[in-house]
Amino acid sequence: MMKLYLRLFFSIFLLLPSLYGRDFEVRDFPIQDGGRIKPLDTYARNQLLAFYGKRSVKHEKLSAIDWVFDLILNPEKGGEKKVFNIRNPEVTASLRLEWTNEHKYSFNEVILGLKEQLELVSEFYNKPDESRTIFEKQFLEIYFNALRFKEITYSLSCLAPFIEVNDSLLAEKLNTSPGKAVSYAHLVKQFHTLTEMFLTVMNKPEEELSQSDKELNMILLTLQHTSSDDYAQALKLIPPSPLDETGTWLSPWELMDGRPRAPYQDKILNALEKYLSGRALGDENIMNSALTDYEAGISAITIGKPDINILKKETWVNKANLFYISVAFYLSAFIFLGLSWMFHQSKYLQRISAGFLGLGLLYHTYGIYLRMFIMGRPPVSTLYESVIFVGFVTVVCAVIIEYFRRDGLGLFVGALSGAIFHYIGFGYAADGDTLGMLVAVLNSNFWLATHVTTITLGYGVTVVAGFIGHLYLIQMIRNPKNNTLLKSINKNMFGVTLIALFFTLFGTILGGIWADQSWGRFWGWDPKENGALLIVMWHVMMIHMRITGKVKPEGFALGLIMNIIIVMMAWFGVNLLNVGLHSYGFTSGIARNLFLFTALELITGFGTYYWAQSRKGRLVV
Amino acid sequence: MKQIIKIVSSPKIFVYTIIWLMVLVVLGTLAQRDIGLYASQQKYFSANITWLGGIIPVPGGRITMIIMLVNLTFMVLFKQNLWKIKKIGVLIMHIGALLLLIGGGLTAIFSSEGNMVIEEGAQSNRVDDYHDMELTIINTSNEILDKYTVFDQPILGKGNILSHENLNFNIEIISYLRNCEPLKRTAPAGFHYKGMLKNFRLSTLRPEKENNRNRPGITYRITNSGSSSDGIYGLFLGQSVPQTAVINNQNYEFIIRRKRTYLPFAIELLDFKKVMHTGTGIAKSYSSEVNLIENGIPRRVLIEMNEPLRHKGYTFFQSSFIEGPEGEATVLAAVKNYGRSFPYISSIIMSIGLLLHLLKSIPKLLQKNPRVAE
Repeated sequence: MMKLYLRLFFSIFLLLPSLYGRDFEVRDFPIQDGGRIKPLDTYARNQLLAFYGKRSVKHEKLSAIDWVFDLILNPEKGGEKKVFNIRNPEVTASLRLEWTNEHKYSFNEVILGLKEQLELVSEFYNKPDESRTIFEKQFLEIYFNALRFKEITYSLSCLAPFIEVNDSLLAEKLNTSPGKAVSYAHLVKQFHTLTEMFLTVMNKPEEELSQSDKELNMILLTLQHTSSDDYAQALKLIPPSPLDETGTWLSPWELMDGRPRAPYQDKILNALEKYLSGRALGDENIMNSALTDYEAGISAITIGKPDINILKKETWVNKANLFYISVAFYLSAFIFLGLSWMFHQSKYLQRISAGFLGLGLLYHTYGIYLRMFIMGRPPVSTLYESVIFVGFVTVVCAVIIEYFRRDGLGLFVGALSGAIFHYIGFGYAADGDTLGMLVAVLNSNFWLATHVTTITLGYGVTVVAGFIGHLYLIQMIRNPKNNTLLKSINKNMFGVTLIALFFTLFGTILGGIWADQSWGRFWGWDPKENGALLIVMWHVMMIHMRITGKVKPEGFALGLIMNIIIVMMAWFGVNLLNVGLHSYGFTSGIARNLFLFTALELITGFGTYYWAQSRKGRLVV
Repeated sequence: MKQIIKIVSSPKIFVYTIIWLMVLVVLGTLAQRDIGLYASQQKYFSANITWLGGIIPVPGGRITMIIMLVNLTFMVLFKQNLWKIKKIGVLIMHIGALLLLIGGGLTAIFSSEGNMVIEEGAQSNRVDDYHDMELTIINTSNEILDKYTVFDQPILGKGNILSHENLNFNIEIISYLRNCEPLKRTAPAGFHYKGMLKNFRLSTLRPEKENNRNRPGITYRITNSGSSSDGIYGLFLGQSVPQTAVINNQNYEFIIRRKRTYLPFAIELLDFKKVMHTGTGIAKSYSSEVNLIENGIPRRVLIEMNEPLRHKGYTFFQSSFIEGPEGEATVLAAVKNYGRSFPYISSIIMSIGLLLHLLKSIPKLLQKNPRVAE
């Protein structure tokens, strides 16, 4: 146990040097994908996530980047790797795959089945998306995954050393040494030296061909064969020429068509070729020198040069998994808080718990900061980010409360909600790239920073209020006689509710103003707007009911708990309705979790409420 | 009198209305799944009376909010203990809320929204309403001048009889269909069916969720024309062959179309631009470069997402675009909104009020645990 903590704790110090002042690595190669320049590492992880369901090949302990390069340098072996995760027995059956407990299949297995079923694919493809069954959707997904897998496999085949030249005469002419493997690109570049020889070979009868002639023929055949890979343009690693205004990056194969190349494009291509040959030989020196060349090539880009530091940061974030570390700390904080309760409110244990909560918050904050830094936008712009940010808000609130109270209430709220939101976030992260680009209407940093951040703050504080509501009811059950304690929690509860009202109200109105600015109407009774309005109205109702004496503190606590349900519905539930201008954050499989959560909150909320009331009743008697 | 004020301004009324409003919001949101946003808004939020399940009348969103407004107004005006320095935050907040409701009311009553479609190189001063239709009758007898007579949607109700001094006949509305499709008749039509209805009939369709995908239709009877043109006619939106009739030597054309508003200025589309996130199909931005032409003088304006053009009470937003073989056309949403500034003002007021109140009461509310404090 202790060892685990130590490892966690020191992990950041081990990682830090790798963030600052480390060398440029293959992971950091810039690639254009999904509308932005990202490190190749992120690309590889996302691809692997799509095929395999995880961001590294777990059963072989292979990182995503190594997987990509192994695949490129050894397509046959790569095709045998079991990286296709198929969990639907219907799909495996129709692909004639054996149903195993690992659910993992290789590309070669999958493609065999797909080739037999091309008619089925086209039938599913021509259906409108909403009328496809789950089976049909997954089948299509496998099909497109397989296509992309193949494209990635051959996307660098023009640069990989796949062609061996054994004949010394040819080798000399082709500017290489006998027995060494060279790339398609290299041969194409040197080929003019062989034109004469080639013309004579063409006219020679078969029996007069020398060894060199025969090998030349072989090489020609291989070149022709390789050139048919030019459809494989998945890896957009090469920056555009300075004349290109669109800013669209290119794949190496696109540059093989004889178009003029900018000097930096040549540099990068050559460095990539060198890296691949070094990697194929396992020669560290060649690889390192290739990396230096690559970095020089990137620095030579004239327009739209990617910032290598940002790329390095992103690969670091990919590896560091800061949110896994922070959730571990939150859980530890919760465990130690529980222990402190067992051991008669031990001050010592509680302090350890507070320390863990603080450390978790530190990692959490740093993770959010790095994401903002990489994308250059405010903390919340996607559903995933809203989850992470609400978690952050709840912990910050909890820390403030704990600072004032020093009795573990804040620790309880912070550790629990911090951990829960992290887990929800992990669920979203498993869906795909969490650093995606935004559609036009959302692409406004000003409004993202104001409206979205405020409303998510409001969600967070509302959740905190709900947690305090839970705690109030629990305390009422545990010590109904402790009036001073209950009174102070009650006051906190009200204060937090007012803050929550402020953020939700202000955030909702800001949202209306944004809508007025961009759609021309302040309010349109769209589901997302209605959701936010419901939260505000619920707050307002609870506050008025409390002021008019219609609810007692325990009723108020119950109301706050119910508001968590409303928050969840407004936050995730409205996306299930799929109507209106706001339905951009759709995710599948959320309905069930939402239902479970609502049921749980209803049962615990009302259960503790009636229990608390009965305890109070007995006290009066 | 005092008694009445006390009752009308009671916070209890507020609590009940807000609970009811929440119920309406939930119902109205869920209903959007089935009947779409516009219909649900009409049924739950803009209505005075909402018919639950079509049979049970309950207060609709509008009346609920009016009650809330009255309650709030009385509260602010007559609640003595609110006008104290101690409660300044609460008071300011409630005044802000009051302004917000008033602004909402103004918008609901007066605002209108429509579409403006302009092709590249062309100009337009016409706004087509999103939702409202109009029945237009054009007298084309005079070669130099067409004479238009326009009836707005609200009077196109079933059984209404329309007449106008321009027209030497009466029109009796037989039915107005929110969504319909013309179907070819299988059996010959009765002798009283004229024009398009001789060969087609208008079949009612279930309204679409998105209102602008509906194709409204209308059937009407021409009476008192004193000619053989008396009979039943039909029209639908986007009809390709215009419905004509000759009545007393006058040629008439009948059209049902989106309600048109003509602006006192024109907009000319110079260039429409669509920018994608490089290498993807995700749109990064849309923009229209236009000339705003008023009194013959053009002014160059760029309309972008989140950057509308405001002029003479109208606001033009980049809403959509059409890509055709002959070029691009931009779709601008044109909105006229009178209560625009209310939300801005009231949100500032409410936030100030709430902040004041928070600053005053937070120190008390974030109290230390007494046990630890000792």
